[in-house]
Amino acid sequence: MDLHNLNPSSLKSRFTTRFLRALTEINARKPIASSSSPREIFQRYRRIKDAADTSMAYSVRSRRTWSKATLWRLRTPSHRRRLASFGRRSSLNKTRTTTTASHRGAVVVQITSRGGGLGVQLEELRELVPGGEAMDLCNLLDETAHYIKCLTTQVQVMRTIANLYSLE
Amino acid sequence: MELNAGTAGTGSHETASERKEVAALESLQFTDEIRRLMLAPATDNASSFTALLELPAPQAVQLIHSPDSVKLTAVHAPTPNVDDFKGSFHFPFDSGLIERAARFSLFAGDGNINVNNKSNSLEPTSYNSTANLQKPVKSEPAETESYQALVSDPTVENRSIKRKDREKVKGSTKKNKTAAKDSSDDAEKLPYVHVRARRGQATDSHSLAERARREKINARMKLLQELVPGCSKISGTALVLDEIINHVQSLQRQVEFLSMRLAAVNPRIDVNLDSIFTADSGSLMNSNFSGMVMPMMWPEVQLNGNRQQYPQQSQFGAFQQPVWGREEVCNNYMTPENSLLSYDSSGNSASLHSNQLKMEL
Repeated sequence: MDLHNLNPSSLKSRFTTRFLRALTEINARKPIASSSSPREIFQRYRRIKDAADTSMAYSVRSRRTWSKATLWRLRTPSHRRRLASFGRRSSLNKTRTTTTASHRGAVVVQITSRGGGLGVQLEELRELVPGGEAMDLCNLLDETAHYIKCLTTQVQVMRTIANLYSLE
Repeated sequence: MELNAGTAGTGSHETASERKEVAALESLQFTDEIRRLMLAPATDNASSFTALLELPAPQAVQLIHSPDSVKLTAVHAPTPNVDDFKGSFHFPFDSGLIERAARFSLFAGDGNINVNNKSNSLEPTSYNSTANLQKPVKSEPAETESYQALVSDPTVENRSIKRKDREKVKGSTKKNKTAAKDSSDDAEKLPYVHVRARRGQATDSHSLAERARREKINARMKLLQELVPGCSKISGTALVLDEIINHVQSLQRQVEFLSMRLAAVNPRIDVNLDSIFTADSGSLMNSNFSGMVMPMMWPEVQLNGNRQQYPQQSQFGAFQQPVWGREEVCNNYMTPENSLLSYDSSGNSASLHSNQLKMEL
């Protein structure tokens, strides 16, 4: 078993160390009781998932739009986020979306497809990739490629950790 | 003279045959001289059409530009090259045109363009070198054809070359549309893009910019196709995008599922980072993927409240029970190792081991 299998500054190792740290922190805060209700498990699941996304976005160091968007999404509370996103969307996406605000809190956004048959898929892709709403196609494809690469790393590491834990 | 008379006089029958031989020899010499005479005026008049047609192409080029250094018998063009050359080299018969074309290509290559630089280096060598003509042609057939286009910049084009000449040169690009692909690939790597106008396409700046943008997008789509497994066979942007979207969705679902699994499994926190780095993701998860539907249902069920706890538990329990059984056993081990890790969570395995040893002692 060789110790320095990986480049210590690669994406994988950065993510792994951060994620493990976060995991131990979560486990330290709330150790699993044997009779934990599904609700607790659900809360734990949410925390672990957020920790995974945050640690991955941190490892990328906000060089990318999607990592910035992920960190922002996990940091700002939801009510402030809704207001900010309304402002952002209406200012940036005027060509693409028509927003009809029904009342103050809720915003109904109708997304009109543009540019031939690709419109529907482009909108879907924008929804999937975090921070993808306000990007042109060229950059969006770039972000998607990097996002896919990081997601696969994340899945690989998490799977290995889960296997290790469940093999005991 | 006296000797001649003497020999002529001595034997008449002998001299008849001799005379025939002499006459034959003289005729041979005459033919050589005649041949030389025929070819000499041809070399002087470099631009004559008929003279050029008689010779193979490389020699003709040499004739045009360096009539002194011609060795007609010396250069043997290997046949396949000559065929390529003839097919591709749209031969301008006017030396003035050639000079203008050479000048123009030197003009156009002022920028930092790969293809244009290659064509620049190619043209002077092809015109000035005598014996090395086939080598540059052979090594870069695409470039010889692409320099025929000679259209890299619409402004330069309008400025320096006449319309008639440009179309004549451009006509050869009919055969060479594949060369444009090379230029577009090179264009991807450059700081600013030079796009070649193909035959029959608009050359205004808007369509050029659009074409550059489209080529950028196509290059990125190709990269994405390589990233996503099973996408390289599919043709057509819509289907490829569908595949990409499916892949991203499945990856996100896998992350959710794995975090659910981590939440459920009680972590035995003897974190051995070596084993994590060396152990690859095995196929253990594949059997459990049937449960992947759960993360999707799970948040919805939770939002509905605790009314549906029992069906939840039945679904979840089947998955959970082997894990929970292990949990109770492992609970005892958790606390001391927890404290260990709270000291040193940077994950240096050596220090961890040393701590464990100290605790045991």
